[in-house]
Amino acid sequence: MSRPRTDPKSRTNGDDTTESEDRPGTDSGQVSPESAALTGERLVLQYPSSDEPVVDGETLSAQPGAVTALVGPNGSGKSTLLKGLADQLEPEAGSVLVDGQTIQSLDQKELARRLGLLSQERTSPDSITVEKLVYHGRYPHRGFFESVTAEDERAVDRAIQLAGCDHLREREVGSLSGGQKQLAWIAMVLAQETDVLLLDEPTTFLDLHHQLEVMEIVETLRDESDITVVVVLHDIEQAARLADQMVALKDGEIRASGTPEAVVTEELLAEVFEIDATVESTPHGPRIEPLRPRHDDDDQERPTERVARSDSGSD
Amino acid sequence: MASDTAHGTDAPSRRERWLGRIDRSLVTLCLGSLAVVVAGGLVQVSFGAFSMTIVEAWQAVFDPAVVFSRQAWEAFLLGGEVPEMDKRSLIVWNIRLPRVFVAILVGMNLAVSGAIFQAVTRNELASPFILGVSSGAGLLILLTLVVFGGLAAFLPLIASVGGAVAFLIVYAIAWKNGTSPVRLVLAGVIVGTVFGSLQTALFFFAEDIGVVQSAIAWTTGSLTGTDWEQVRIALPWTVLAMVLALVSSRQLNVLLLGESTAQSLGMSVEKVRFALSGVAVLAAAASIAVAGIVGFVGLIVPHMVRNIVGSDYRKLIVGCVFAGPALMVGADVGARLALNPIQIPVGIVTGLVGGPYFLYLMRKQERMGEI
Repeated sequence: MSRPRTDPKSRTNGDDTTESEDRPGTDSGQVSPESAALTGERLVLQYPSSDEPVVDGETLSAQPGAVTALVGPNGSGKSTLLKGLADQLEPEAGSVLVDGQTIQSLDQKELARRLGLLSQERTSPDSITVEKLVYHGRYPHRGFFESVTAEDERAVDRAIQLAGCDHLREREVGSLSGGQKQLAWIAMVLAQETDVLLLDEPTTFLDLHHQLEVMEIVETLRDESDITVVVVLHDIEQAARLADQMVALKDGEIRASGTPEAVVTEELLAEVFEIDATVESTPHGPRIEPLRPRHDDDDQERPTERVARSDSGSD
Repeated sequence: MASDTAHGTDAPSRRERWLGRIDRSLVTLCLGSLAVVVAGGLVQVSFGAFSMTIVEAWQAVFDPAVVFSRQAWEAFLLGGEVPEMDKRSLIVWNIRLPRVFVAILVGMNLAVSGAIFQAVTRNELASPFILGVSSGAGLLILLTLVVFGGLAAFLPLIASVGGAVAFLIVYAIAWKNGTSPVRLVLAGVIVGTVFGSLQTALFFFAEDIGVVQSAIAWTTGSLTGTDWEQVRIALPWTVLAMVLALVSSRQLNVLLLGESTAQSLGMSVEKVRFALSGVAVLAAAASIAVAGIVGFVGLIVPHMVRNIVGSDYRKLIVGCVFAGPALMVGADVGARLALNPIQIPVGIVTGLVGGPYFLYLMRKQERMGEI
């Protein structure tokens, strides 16, 4: 992690047009070099198998060219919201707009050229090489009979470089570790060359080294490209460090949104995550010291005390 | 992170070497399969009730009076009057060779059909008959032979239609806001069970042993008595199905990445899955129409090819086009000559070969099922 980081606070207003001028490789044929906004308006999201919507009428907008992190406890609807934004789950009501166009009005390939998703549910044949996997990211750019163009090769090389998996290029995906696989899949979505990138818990289940690798890729995207990133993260500290904007969800509702400093507060952690914690401001963003879980009947009782009480009660 | 790893210097040459290695395994597979087909075909034309030496058989196969005769080929491929030729050529070209050609077409169709179904259901254990195709075809074959005897002339067509209709029923059952591989397979099992019961029930109404034998030949798959007529029935559909399968290989590769990924890459998963299943059913129907329901070929061949060339469908489909005929022609040698003069249905031989091969795979591979 030797590369110096820019301070996230210095560019939270999304004003990054200066950086896009000499961005390598996007000059040829790309119609929209400018950042795209992604907005979900009054989204009602529901799985076909359930009766009640998971997300009921929430509006979320991701700033163009910035990183927006969705955080929340398990079952808070953050992954569902991401699926809704990615058109993997059709909203019951409301709409999703990419650059002002509803995603339903775009055909699927057109949408896949603008919006990429790294989902958690994915499989691949073990014997496929990393390079071949990354080439699949070019699917939306290729016609039915078209073969690989120089443009495709360039995009794949760039994606592999950016994801830092050049040394894995010829390896078979089945032989990789979980972290290396994640880098390969990230390279695949990067090869899609979309304006908007949605990442669903990209660091979950990875060792620390690969968590930091993934975070570094997102930081690079934030600082050196104008891709709009929306990322679901489990780790609030990671999210605070990475994001320009944070959105906290609980029970399918957006409880808070804003800069990491505004969102990550002791009150919010108590309300949304039901934990007691202290928050300390550091140069790397807010630092969280989790202390104990909170309970509905909360008198700050420890589990041991609860057990002791119920034991004596049953006697 | 990535800036310190060398890039671009040796990558192209490494890539070329890699491609070279892969292609060599595919080329070896294709050449090996061709050798088996040629050897099997040679055995088939040489032996039989009218015996001739291998040299005589070869001479008949390359008889210039037939090979370069436009009239003969027109008779073979379009139907019509077969021109005069000597007795050996007549036997080889009119009776023994067409059977080899039918075996080649059937093998191709079943192998490619199985390969497609394995990608569509993302399950290595899928076969051309997993989505109800065999049970639908079998039921209609029995119905035709037992109840509607007058329609026996249209049996090939009826069998294929039965397979296709059963497939549509399976799809309709599996559909609930879209399909999924698991639901498709389960629906296939349900339809297969019901149709299978009906099929067995129909055996009780068969009037004589001849009808039963004919029904068994159809439902286990047999190449007995096939000639140019069968080649003419299967050839156009086979060509169509093979071309469609080859051009769809990239779609198949993307399907293997899972629904969610395929969709986020811009694929209309439901449409592609239905279209590809349609191609696979077409191929399976073409083989059912001429040979009945030959089991195991569509299950084992994609497996064997995958073990050799890997799971890239661009190579896998090509490999199946060659390896399928090799297995089928080889099995038919056994079916026709092993118990000479009695011929057994070729489906019995493929089952006898396929079972042990699967046992071997099960022992050897840790994980089976998902591709």
